[in-house]
Amino acid sequence: MSQDWGTPATTAFDSLTAALRSNIIPNQEYLLQGSVLDSAVEILLHRLRGLCDNVDSGPETFHDHEMCFSIRGNQNTPLLLRVRRALDYPDMPYQLRYIGQPEIGVGDKARPTIVRSSIDVACSSTVVEFLTEMGCRMDFEYISRGYMFRKGRMKILVSKIFKMSQGKPPDNGVEPISQSYLVELSILAPGGQDVIGEDMKAFAEQLKPLVQLEKIDYKRLPMAMAP
Amino acid sequence: MQREEKQLEASLDSVLLKLNEIKSQLVAMLYKIDHERDSLQWPTFLDNFALLSGQFSAISKVLSHDKTPPIRNLTVLPLLLNPEREEELIRLTEGRVPAFTHDLVPDYLRTKPEPDVEHKLLQLEHKAASLSYDAAQKQAATFNKVITHVLDIVSKSREEWESEAGSRGGTGQTSSMSDTHSLVAAVGMGKGLKMMMPQPGAPMGPGMMVAPGGPGRTVAPVMPMGPGGQPMGMMGKTPSGIKTNIKAAAGIHPYR
Repeated sequence: MSQDWGTPATTAFDSLTAALRSNIIPNQEYLLQGSVLDSAVEILLHRLRGLCDNVDSGPETFHDHEMCFSIRGNQNTPLLLRVRRALDYPDMPYQLRYIGQPEIGVGDKARPTIVRSSIDVACSSTVVEFLTEMGCRMDFEYISRGYMFRKGRMKILVSKIFKMSQGKPPDNGVEPISQSYLVELSILAPGGQDVIGEDMKAFAEQLKPLVQLEKIDYKRLPMAMAP
Repeated sequence: MQREEKQLEASLDSVLLKLNEIKSQLVAMLYKIDHERDSLQWPTFLDNFALLSGQFSAISKVLSHDKTPPIRNLTVLPLLLNPEREEELIRLTEGRVPAFTHDLVPDYLRTKPEPDVEHKLLQLEHKAASLSYDAAQKQAATFNKVITHVLDIVSKSREEWESEAGSRGGTGQTSSMSDTHSLVAAVGMGKGLKMMMPQPGAPMGPGMMVAPGGPGRTVAPVMPMGPGGQPMGMMGKTPSGIKTNIKAAAGIHPYR
């Protein structure tokens, strides 16, 4: 009894470690990517409206500004951190996100989707300053505007990516990167749930031939694509 | 043609074999019911049923096999009816059918419809006979008209559908692999996003991002400093001219 009095109740860190150990934290992102030409985006949106859960309310729109920061620690590969904020809801908290490298492990070839670790936290607008003080520098930034759909725990983003142009507020004077919308199908889940990949593959099949959703490792893309 | 006939023969043989097995099984079962009624155990009886159902599934498997030609498409045609007793037929049917006669054949060859179907057919024939020629003609004409109309509608929508499908197939491409790659590379690594800034840092980031904070601090995020304190610029490859640009641009920040 007396011992119980002396030791503090489990700390937040302890419960976090326990949660990590029992593998209940959704820190893995299962991802498929593709694109659709501007001319066909209406057809895709129409099809998604039919396929997804939020049929009655219609798709949710978003208009975000994302900045990617990097910091070089002792390792050769820089650590990447992304800050995202909603341009259409300036009062919303910012989002700080860590995305790991795509897992390359045993059986990765057989896996239907990219699997990478992903951790999100909400934060205040001073995060940019904070990161800078920490020694991070901004690598690049872009504007992403589009629609979000849900189907079960799947999230489907159809978004247009814009370059930031100099000297102008982000709302106008932005230039699209390509004549296509980026389409992303993702699920956040604890690791090891490879059934999810099958579900996603089945959903991706339903969007063919409109969109080819695939696992794309951007590190190994042919350089010829680069503008 | 000959091959198909051979196939048909072979499949008929196997079906016949299975049917004979079922028949003997049924006979044995009936025998048991008749003669061993008192000593018959329910479980053994059920076993018999299980055996039978197994044989039924075996026969349906044979019938649905790819190599079995569709037997239902074939017709049995009675070529000769004979009212006299035939010994050969009696032997073949185990004493069940003594003669191939007019009253037996329609039942055995299933050329006679079921009783209620027959009844309905009779009614309809009666109705048709009682109709006058003109009225019948008129009804047929109306019917034809309706059918033609429906056919028109169907063929028209088929045409529309096909042309639509054709045009959709014509426009074809709705996504482009190279666009996918450039978008993924841009979002993932900033490809095409970093290189497009002749004045890196200047108007981006700070002014828009860090709203509060004094002007002195706002500049901080602009300076792309590596951990070693060197300006990192564009992946460390930036010519020094740009480096000075950064500072200059930071000085004339539009938001200040």
